[in-house]
Amino acid sequence: MRKIATVLILLMVMSVALTAAEPDFQEMLRKIDDMGNFADSDFYAEYTLTSQKPGEPVAVTKAQMFRRDRNEQFVFIILEPQEDSGKGYLKVDDNVWIYDPQSRAFNHSSLKEEIQNTDTKNSDLTSSSLAEDYTVTRSAEGTLGAFPVWILELTARNNEVSYAKIIIWVHKASSLILKEEDYSVSNRLLRTVAYSSYMKVGDKFLPGVITQVDNVAIGERTIVQMANPSVAVIPNDRFTKSFLERASN
Amino acid sequence: MIQEINIALRNLNRQKKRSFLLAGAIAFGIMIVTLINGFSGSFVENVNENFSHLMAGHIFIEGVEKTTTGRNYYFISDDKILIDTIESLDLPLQFITKRSEFSGNLVYNGKTLQQNIVGADWSKENYFSERMMILDGSFDNMSEPQAIILSKEVADRLSLGIGDRMLVRMKTYTGQQNLGEFVLAAIIADPGLIGSMSAYANLDYVNQLLNLQTGEYKIMGLYLSSMKPIDTAADTLYKALEGKVQLFTRDSDDEETNFVEAMMQQGKEEEWEGLRYRLYTLNDILSEVQDLVNVLDTASLVILLVLFVIIMVGITNTFRMVMLERVREIGTIRALGVQKKGVLRLFLFEALFVGLLGFTAGLASAGIIMAVLHQINWGMDTPIFILLKNGHMTFKLLPWQVIMNLLVVTALTLLAAWSPARKAANLEPAHALRVQN
Repeated sequence: MRKIATVLILLMVMSVALTAAEPDFQEMLRKIDDMGNFADSDFYAEYTLTSQKPGEPVAVTKAQMFRRDRNEQFVFIILEPQEDSGKGYLKVDDNVWIYDPQSRAFNHSSLKEEIQNTDTKNSDLTSSSLAEDYTVTRSAEGTLGAFPVWILELTARNNEVSYAKIIIWVHKASSLILKEEDYSVSNRLLRTVAYSSYMKVGDKFLPGVITQVDNVAIGERTIVQMANPSVAVIPNDRFTKSFLERASN
Repeated sequence: MIQEINIALRNLNRQKKRSFLLAGAIAFGIMIVTLINGFSGSFVENVNENFSHLMAGHIFIEGVEKTTTGRNYYFISDDKILIDTIESLDLPLQFITKRSEFSGNLVYNGKTLQQNIVGADWSKENYFSERMMILDGSFDNMSEPQAIILSKEVADRLSLGIGDRMLVRMKTYTGQQNLGEFVLAAIIADPGLIGSMSAYANLDYVNQLLNLQTGEYKIMGLYLSSMKPIDTAADTLYKALEGKVQLFTRDSDDEETNFVEAMMQQGKEEEWEGLRYRLYTLNDILSEVQDLVNVLDTASLVILLVLFVIIMVGITNTFRMVMLERVREIGTIRALGVQKKGVLRLFLFEALFVGLLGFTAGLASAGIIMAVLHQINWGMDTPIFILLKNGHMTFKLLPWQVIMNLLVVTALTLLAAWSPARKAANLEPAHALRVQN
């Protein structure tokens, strides 16, 4: 009897110890979001998207991103290729607009739309909301290369986010995401994303190079490179339709 | 008057070759215009009918839900009220269809192709399967839940064969990424235009991919027994549904915007809770086809006028020549007591008969050509399938168009002959009798 009681006590102590060792993953998501969001400043960066598709020439898109996360605003304007120069995305309130300089028309778009037929979505480059959109449903410890990581399975809290399930590999020491797998509603792997470098922007960290591999259309991948990030104040008129119209002229 | 008619007919008979050539020119013009009129007359009917088969209905109902974040989701969940209301009305209803569709990317062997995929309950849509021209595979393969029917063009572009499995990447009704798998059941002839944009799958699997619940779907279609009562039936149904369900207003602020565009606008601008329904008809969607027909009709009238300006010049010259040939004859009949007006009428009767002969011949030859063209089976895989009726060209002539063409031809022929006829009538009998031929 005494032995059983001892074993039970030991098990209880071990489980408490294990629980204590596991961090608060929802808090970790909030930290990850906070790492990439600019609540107190504006954010500007230049992006180069290099898209590779089998049998097609490599497509390079250069663009500028203006973000004001505190108002959930952004403007993404394409500079290259020449034929798409001036095309842009604008988020004002809950609306995402796409501007076509050829027709000079704005049409409704969404954060889920792919940019320039690449594997990159608008939401990949805008503010992060993992804690709001997902719940951690499974967790495990592991390593990714030489890095000790938390492997977290996130399940969508609502049916409005692009991916019903994502798995992220989070660096234990820094809480930076190193790898991500995106799954369909039918639980099939759609996209694998590797965050191979981060850049310090102000007091935040943003991915400097992102490689997105299409797991459905085999051989398709997009490499996103960020350059010249800045947290300087952006004029208010940047986040307007008229700016996109002017910029395309 | 009868004597003048007899003389006019005799004169025309005297110069058979010339009369036939003149009438032939008029007949050619009438034939062309009648063919255009006939084709445009059946154009709307055929396009509407083909679209009604492709879209599985003449009247459509869509449900729209607005989320708290301002997004619109399109689906019908509980259709009991809709069905009960439809069945309580005396509509010329053949059957009701329930369909869902999405646009996704088919992926096979490293190739990707965007494709609109329509899900239907094939056990209830037999009529549609009968209209498909299957080139390979079998419709029986649709018993496989994940089966799909593709057009030959799409299957060729993806290098797909019967039984091959392909992936489809698409978005659920709320916009989430999803991935499914189809197996190619049959390859159909490309029905042209809109048809080439659609592939056909089973409703249950399409709903599953769209993440819709059991019993939910996207569009209800009402298939009527005839095209004619579409608008009346739609109005009756709309009135019956008012008060029972939330409806988008079937009205537009300006004449430029049709009902469908106006309802889309309401969906963007207005707020509501729960499901709100859009009711629209094939006529609303295809109003631009009617505009195209109006353009065709106007073009045919312009062609008629241009042709007849050319023919008028010929008629004027011919009658001037006729007048010069018959100066002595005119002098004689004038000397015999026929008045100026009698000579004028004589010439105008000749012109009128030439015009009527040409019109009749033109109408008859157009009729023969239409009959021959109608007999030709262009098949279901022709690019102009959408304009044909079961692969055959059809023509529909409206009585007012025939009467209008007759009036135009008569008026222009008389106008063309007027000047030479007046000159002939004004000839002095004594002077005319002295003229040597």
